[in-house]
Amino acid sequence: MASIVRPNVLRQTCAAASKRAFSASATPGFPAVKSAPSIAARPALRSAFVKNAIPSSMRVAAFHASGRKAILPALPQTIDGTANDAAKVPESHPSHGSYHWTFERLIAAGLVPLTVAPFAAGSLNPMTDAILCGAVLIHSHIGFQALIIDYLPEWRVPKSRKLFMWGLNLATVMVGVGLYEFETNDVGVTEAIKKIWTA
Amino acid sequence: MSAIRNTARLFRPSTLRSIQARSFASVVPETKTSTVPEPAKDADSQIKTFHIYRWNPDEPASKPRMQSYTLDLKKTGPMMLDALIRIKNEVDPTLTFRRSCREGICGSCAMNIDGVNTLACLCRIPTDTKQETKIYPLPHTYVVKDIVPDLTQFYKQYKSIKPYLRRDTPSPNGKEYLQSKEERKKLDGLYECILCACCSTSCPSYWWNSEEYLGPAVLMQSYRWLADSRDEKKEERKAALDNSMSLYRCHTILNCSRTCPKGLNPGLAIAEIKKEMAF
Repeated sequence: MASIVRPNVLRQTCAAASKRAFSASATPGFPAVKSAPSIAARPALRSAFVKNAIPSSMRVAAFHASGRKAILPALPQTIDGTANDAAKVPESHPSHGSYHWTFERLIAAGLVPLTVAPFAAGSLNPMTDAILCGAVLIHSHIGFQALIIDYLPEWRVPKSRKLFMWGLNLATVMVGVGLYEFETNDVGVTEAIKKIWTA
Repeated sequence: MSAIRNTARLFRPSTLRSIQARSFASVVPETKTSTVPEPAKDADSQIKTFHIYRWNPDEPASKPRMQSYTLDLKKTGPMMLDALIRIKNEVDPTLTFRRSCREGICGSCAMNIDGVNTLACLCRIPTDTKQETKIYPLPHTYVVKDIVPDLTQFYKQYKSIKPYLRRDTPSPNGKEYLQSKEERKKLDGLYECILCACCSTSCPSYWWNSEEYLGPAVLMQSYRWLADSRDEKKEERKAALDNSMSLYRCHTILNCSRTCPKGLNPGLAIAEIKKEMAF
């Protein structure tokens, strides 16, 4: 029975091997791969001759309603270790995890009273104005940071990630300096919004 | 003599051909058989079209395509899985899909039906025959064949949260770990998850970051063990989630809760984890 099943399994593993980069430790589960190098080599040879050989993942992507995107297309499947190993548990970094989240939520929740306060009170206080500016700045910084973390995965594009993160830091500092100038040498944010509103 | 002639006739090419053409058991010439006409279409037949995603790993160079099948709903069971099984049995045996329990408890037949991730066995076929049904594999998964997705990463992530009771102290009575009714009640809505991966594969965050983000299904199971009064490794479990990727890629868009074919709420479970970890 096993001899009947073997070619079938073999074919699947070969197709898989051509498509996914199993690490060497994955092969002992399928020793047939090693014993039949000619078959294992065939898909690789073939893809070299096929015109416009694009990864299968791209072919799938082209099938979707949202159209093919050339930005970070899905890579061929890779499996870290064997299929039976647990995924790697990352190190604990509360400053990027729970502390970060709590801080982010506090800022977001704090923005509501900070936005309403000067209008509700009817008086302009440079201190509340400064706190509002700072909160908005930090809020938007964290928002853009989330964008970068979502769309520029560090394991895949570490340099772009770093570049964008530093770009964001630079932008935040620049906006911070600008707001400081605006607060100290001009009317301040709340007053400016009031003026635009009634203009 | 007549026997010899009959035997010789067998070796004449024309006879050989006719024998090869038909099965050896049938010796009645075609002209003497009665033809069974194709049954006339019932006046009340409900013909519905199913477009199904096909891709064969044996032909890696050929692109995935949609294949259309038509079925009479009057002769098909009420659920999508009935339609798929009927297509496989009666129309196209090469159609490949996973199925096992046909009653929504195994999670094998998770697929994208009419744009929604669901279990084929729990999804009724819309009786509107003008509306054509489209069936795809779970979105953003590596496809093994046709509508069979590769869930290796999903299972590896599930394993990484250590989904089992972990404690150091033995039970007080030496036999079992007792729970109050209230403590047990906390696990309702969590333990029922069948890990069909419908929610995880409906989550854009999981689409983009499935290498590092655990996804709603695994996070809900993570909370299932965080909420368990008998588990003693809560801090360890929380520490494993305390980084920017594992948990906090959830942006609470709640696709998971909307799509869950079992009516569970992974979005709420993730929110509970975030709350527990916050203070």
